[in-house]
Formats: sequence, structure tokens, C-alpha cells
Amino acid sequence: MTGQPLASALPASGDLLSPSERLGALFDAHHGRLYRLARRLSSSADQAQDLVQDTFLKAAGAVGSVPQGASREEAWLVRVLINLQRDRWRRDTVRRRALSVMHFNRGAENATQEAAVVAKRLVRQALERLPPRRRAVVVLHELEEMAPAEIAALLGIRAVTVRWHLSRGRQELAHVLKRLGGMP
Amino acid sequence: MTTTTIPELLRESDPIRCEPAWPAADRLRVRQRVLAAPLVHSRPTRRIVLAAGTLGVLLVALFGWRVWPGGVVEAAVRFEVRLAEHAPAAGLTAAVATDSGRTVYLHSDVVVSNGDIASARLEPGDGDGQFGVDIALTATGAEQIRAASAGHVGRPMAVLIDGQVVAAPVVRSPIGEAAIITGAYSREQAERIVSGIVGE
Repeated sequence: MTGQPLASALPASGDLLSPSERLGALFDAHHGRLYRLARRLSSSADQAQDLVQDTFLKAAGAVGSVPQGASREEAWLVRVLINLQRDRWRRDTVRRRALSVMHFNRGAENATQEAAVVAKRLVRQALERLPPRRRAVVVLHELEEMAPAEIAALLGIRAVTVRWHLSRGRQELAHVLKRLGGMP
Repeated sequence: MTTTTIPELLRESDPIRCEPAWPAADRLRVRQRVLAAPLVHSRPTRRIVLAAGTLGVLLVALFGWRVWPGGVVEAAVRFEVRLAEHAPAAGLTAAVATDSGRTVYLHSDVVVSNGDIASARLEPGDGDGQFGVDIALTATGAEQIRAASAGHVGRPMAVLIDGQVVAAPVVRSPIGEAAIITGAYSREQAERIVSGIVGE
């Protein structure tokens, strides 16, 4: 099973596939969406790639637990990806604190860079400072244009909790941006 | 830079829009690694049954002692929401909010309490190892808090757990949602509150 169009057409009959074929079909159907989300939740393309790989390795370790149907498969994989990202975030807390000091210093060095480039970097840094779940909610809503109710269903939390994370996320982003470089 | 809002800034700095797509060679390499991994085709049905059984035992362990022979269920953790003020006045009680360290002055009337809670659950918090408690109010409780907050804009409303003010946010607009998220607890503390907060 190497053809992507064929694999994409198969999820409805996924229960007829062998575990290996199912895993291949899952990868072909969902890698694009997962990479987009992983990249938006990671600080580099390499980290995003690792995150997608680890997500599918989790799926390999539990193929029988991945629900059938494209949207349910996607929701399962997205939840795994976000949980993996949260684990990494916790593991990297000390390293991130050290890096944040470096970012401040680097910001001062780059003061002469073009304003738009600096602003984009500051926004990325501010987003990276959000706790993982909040960051995921902000990314899913602002960049992937999902409604709070959809995010709630995807993450298994209530819509009111999603709106709370969005509100807090925006406040924290504004606060961090102000602290980092006077934006916006 | 002409944009000013947070969503606009986020979109402008979106790596998916600014960077090349995931290279096909890298994608294929990841696919091969994934397919080379050992597969586990587990049986979810059996695991669900086991999980449900474990949950049942846990529920009995957590709540069983609170069910008295007469059928009355009592809350093990006292929960209250009260109106508060920034400044002292006759009839108000001073209390320090544990989240901010600020002193607020509590009214004696309770807006909502344990009996107004429909459900409570653990919610991952802001920091590493921190947890909050997501409390859903009953329709009556939600209406009570909406009515009380409507006349209290610009002043604090205190959330008390076991008599201690854990948060006293200032009411910015009438609270229309039937949920309160509160606290930055360890998992153990948050679980104790979740398991003990629903009741009379």
C-alpha cells in the first residue's frame, strides 16, 4: 500500500485492513494535518517532524485502539500529538527557561533587524511560552480556524473551557509581547 | 508592521505560511520508520471493561463512605462563591486570596455552594504539574451567579474552598456561563476537591 489516493479512500473500510496496512493508511490520510499542527506547536520543523513520527509510533503501539472513521481517527491522533507535546514541554521546562534568557539577549542584538521580521520572531516566542494545552487551543482556533465547540469535542473538554483558554491565551500573548518588545 | 491584533500577528508569523512544505523525502523516511515499528493490535473492548471495573472500585472507595444509611450525601469539600469588596465595611469579613495574596472583604451571603454544582472535574492547569478544577453549576446555580454578578461589575467575587478564598477575580461583566475554573493545585489536591465537592 503505497498509493496515497487509494489509502485515503480506505478509512471507511479500515477494519478490513491488516494492522500494518491500517497504520500505513492512517499515515497517508493524516500526516499532512498532523504536520501542520505539530509545526505550529513546535519551535522548529525538525521538532515537528519528530512529533509526528512519535504520534504515529504511538498509533503503531495501539493500532487496535484507534477508532474507525476519518474524523475519529484524526481526533485520536491529534489528541495523542497534543499530549506528546505536553510531555515534551514539561521535560524541557528547565531548558526553555535557559533559552528564554538567550532570546532576550538575542532580541537586543537584533534590534536593527527589519521590524516585521523581529515582530514575527517575537510572536513565535510568545506563543512558545504558553502552556501546551492553551497553546494548542490558540493554534487550533486562530490558525486552523476551528470553532470552540469543535476544539472542545476534539480535546474532550467543554466549550467554556476552550473559551477560557482562548481568553487567557490572548491576554498572556499580549503580556509577553509587551514584555519582549513592546508589541502590539 | 501595520497589523495590530494578536490573531493577525499569529497568522503573519505562522510557520506553515512562511516555510516550505514538509519535504517528501523526510516524510517518506518517517513513514518507513513508523511502519517498521512493532505493532500492537490490542483489544480495546477488554481494556474498557477493565477500566470501568477499576473506576467502579475507585468510585466506591471515594464516595462510598459519604453515603449514609439514610441516603444523604454530604460534600467532603466545602465550596462557596460570595460577593466581595475591595475595601472594608461594616458586616464584611476580611480574607486573603491565596492566588494573588490580595485582601478582599467578604459578604456573608453565599451566592452558590456545593448544592449548586452539577459536576466537577480535573483540568490541566497552567504550569508543570499544576491542576485546576472545572466546576459546572446547575441551571439554578448559574442563574444565581448571573443575577448576583450583574449587580457587582467592577468588584470582586470570591471563590472559597473549605473556607479559604482561592481566587477573587473582579467581575468584568455578568457571569453568564455555568462553569467556574479555579485553582493551581497539585494533582492530589485537585483530585480531592473534585471527588469531594459535589453534594449538599
